[in-house]
Amino acid sequence: MATATLVLTRVRIRGRIGLVLRVALVLAALALVAYPLLYGGDVWAQRISRAAIYAIIGLSINTLTGHAGQISLGHQAFVGIGAFFAAFTASRLGAPLGFGLAAAALAGTVTALLVGMVALRVTGLYLALVTLAFGLTAETTIFNWREFTGGGAGAFAPRPALVETDFAYAVLCLGVLALVLYADWRLVSTKAGRALAAVRNDEDIAATLGVNVTGYKLGAFCLSGLIAGLAGGLFAYWNQVVQALDFEFQVALVWVLMTVVGGLRSRLGVVIASSFFALLPLTLPNFLSGLPWQPPFLNEAVYHVLPPFIVVVMLLVVLRFFPGGLGQLLAPVTGPATRGSKGARR
Amino acid sequence: MGAFFALGLFQGAVYGLLAVGIVLVYKAKRVFNFAQGEFGGVAAFCAFYLTVSLGLPYWIGVVGGLAAAVAMGLAVERVIVRPLESSSRTIMLVALVGVALFAIAVTVLVARPIPRVMPPIVEGGTVDILGAAILPQQLILLAVLAVLAAAMAWFFRTDLGLAVLASSQDLRAAQVVGIGPTAVSRLVWGMAALLGGVAGLLYAPVGIFTPGFMTFTMLVPAFAAAVLGGMTSLPGAFIGGLAIGVVQNLGIYLLGQQLAVPGAAELSVFALLVLVLLIRPQGLFGKEA
Amino acid sequence: MKRTGRQLLKVEGLGLRFGGLQVLDDLSLTVGEGRIVGLIGPNGAGKTSCFNCLTGVYRPQQGRVFFDGREVSRLPTHRRARLGMARTWQNLGVIESLTVTENVMLAQHQRTGYSALAGLLGLAGTWGRERELRRDADEIIDYFGLADVADERVGELPYGVRKTCDMAMALASDPKLLLLDEPASGLSPEEALGLADTLRELRDRLRLTILMIEHHVPLVAEVCDHVYVLDFGRLLTEGGPEEIQRHPEVITAYLGGSHGTA
Repeated sequence: MATATLVLTRVRIRGRIGLVLRVALVLAALALVAYPLLYGGDVWAQRISRAAIYAIIGLSINTLTGHAGQISLGHQAFVGIGAFFAAFTASRLGAPLGFGLAAAALAGTVTALLVGMVALRVTGLYLALVTLAFGLTAETTIFNWREFTGGGAGAFAPRPALVETDFAYAVLCLGVLALVLYADWRLVSTKAGRALAAVRNDEDIAATLGVNVTGYKLGAFCLSGLIAGLAGGLFAYWNQVVQALDFEFQVALVWVLMTVVGGLRSRLGVVIASSFFALLPLTLPNFLSGLPWQPPFLNEAVYHVLPPFIVVVMLLVVLRFFPGGLGQLLAPVTGPATRGSKGARR
Repeated sequence: MGAFFALGLFQGAVYGLLAVGIVLVYKAKRVFNFAQGEFGGVAAFCAFYLTVSLGLPYWIGVVGGLAAAVAMGLAVERVIVRPLESSSRTIMLVALVGVALFAIAVTVLVARPIPRVMPPIVEGGTVDILGAAILPQQLILLAVLAVLAAAMAWFFRTDLGLAVLASSQDLRAAQVVGIGPTAVSRLVWGMAALLGGVAGLLYAPVGIFTPGFMTFTMLVPAFAAAVLGGMTSLPGAFIGGLAIGVVQNLGIYLLGQQLAVPGAAELSVFALLVLVLLIRPQGLFGKEA
Repeated sequence: MKRTGRQLLKVEGLGLRFGGLQVLDDLSLTVGEGRIVGLIGPNGAGKTSCFNCLTGVYRPQQGRVFFDGREVSRLPTHRRARLGMARTWQNLGVIESLTVTENVMLAQHQRTGYSALAGLLGLAGTWGRERELRRDADEIIDYFGLADVADERVGELPYGVRKTCDMAMALASDPKLLLLDEPASGLSPEEALGLADTLRELRDRLRLTILMIEHHVPLVAEVCDHVYVLDFGRLLTEGGPEEIQRHPEVITAYLGGSHGTA
């Protein structure tokens, strides 16, 4: 009895510390975003939008690869199709932004569903290969289809008056990110999250527990495609022009890397790593060329090709020493928080 | 039509060469080597540097390029593959994708992203085969392939070669021959890198090349070739490469030129890959799983 | 409690081949409602394959499976589970990356009472339902004495605890038929006999029907109403536990057979 009481007390304390930690984390994150957003001007507002869009893409890959265990190396297809649909509705149909984003999300969902149907038969490494080839094909075929995408010049997506300023647009992107984070949180806390964990680990066990493996796999593809399409739509209005070049082969690979660096199934890790990957190419060259001392053989041109190099070095270091990604490093902070919520069950 | 067929065969030979390297690694390690293309990329850039920038004789460029590729293969084996041996296949796959991007980033950093023209091994006008203008370079490619095929056929009959092949099925079989698993692993990656390097050196002079050219244009068709060949058959992978080359060029002719579909080359390879995986996942030469 | 003698599970002429290997050959058996039936036989006799055919993990080439009065031969695995078939696995059907509580809640999948989409959107009903499910899970966890490790990841727990968790999961789905694959393996002889009481209690309290694969003969003799003996994928014989133990062919198959026993 005494031990039981002791255990319960420990659980309760852990739960309370967890709650405090979590609230502190959220406040710190908000402050981190709010400061540059309020005082950084348009430049930082644009950067924050980009970081939020990357974070949404990272969460989309996390849904598929992290939760459902399906590798996708062709995510630029889902994001790109969303972007082109948004641009198409905006410039050709003159549709409002909400409609454009909905169209983008739907287009991403349908595309992902088609790939998901192939994934029912083709699994593991072979699926990685098929998605890679699919992304490449989408890039060269669909995104270069002149009537739809405007060819090389790209498709335009003018922002409507309401979110015309960079500040308002950043708020919109952060709002969508918050929604996606909420959905991800509910996903892992309810039946779908548990079912996907089972599907990821062993499909036979999952099915024997009553989980419709086919349905959940397709569902994961649809959800991932929906989130990716939404991110594509946001990208279209952010950049205000969409080109096939924006969705190259290499981009999709970098997205997968950033998600893995963040740590599969770690919401916070994925968001941090994605934002970092989004901002590095924008901020690093300026930062380095602004330093008082310039190393002899380095110059502005070199600074611009450094980011992908840094990104890959980060990936290799993370995989080698922290296979769980950033999420693994964050676990001492977030761990008690998540455990606390389960511990406070009595 | 005939011209596209002939072009396809020549291009397919390079796919096949890469595919054989991919299959070699897959048989031994059960991983998809997404860095296979960059062995060729690194070899091409080194050869370019030695011959064009430094003005050294061509053969030094070739030897230097191949040495660089093999060094990269051994480094990948030591730094990435072996430490990650026990992690999941997703992690290994992502790491190898990272290696490819790393190699590209390094070439961009060192060599700048400008297109280059590699001088062919032999200068001279084109030869007409089935209505296609074939460069002497491409005929040399055929000669190199014949030599490689003979060398590999011989190698896989030696004790060492048998040990490499056995390692995928049974580690103990390799140990019986007196070769440890580490040595076999090194050998496999070194050979795969060598094959990739040869592919890069043969392909670079055909057109212009930029950083990442092997990964962005050759890797997916090479994988499709390996899958078509059944993922475990070395000759199958090469024949798969030829088939992919032909299908791709027929696709360019029928879809691209006749119907003006953009991206016909990628589309036809993708369609073939999906069809094979759905209808005959064990490939043309693979054993049923 | 009702003992109608109704057949809950009926298998007719099951035949399963892998390539040239005949794993199951014309296997027929029935399990009456409320009974505890044993399935025994030497290693490689096809017992686990039989379970896989019953649950739909394998698709046999011949034969039909009837469950709870309807033919389920063509139903996918998850549909059979929803009709009330639950099983444990020889190498454990737990999800190692989830906690014990999460595993048990996973096993409640089919009776969550809300759709996956509703959960994702966080609709009003789902929060309360999740709390109820957690309460039910806690009850099951307490019953099996797993409360101390409820929030630990299953992968970090010792084998015996994982095995108990597997059993808890099978019950959490509220099944009619429980298929147990070697429930006593890894247990000490005393624990194995203790299992007999647990199984009888489960049958009586939850009105369960149990079909179990087991090598531990004292447990089978103690708890089973009826025993089927499999050898080389064929039914060697069947009968009451005492009868089986005296059967000459069973003794040969186990002791003098060409293939070893576990």
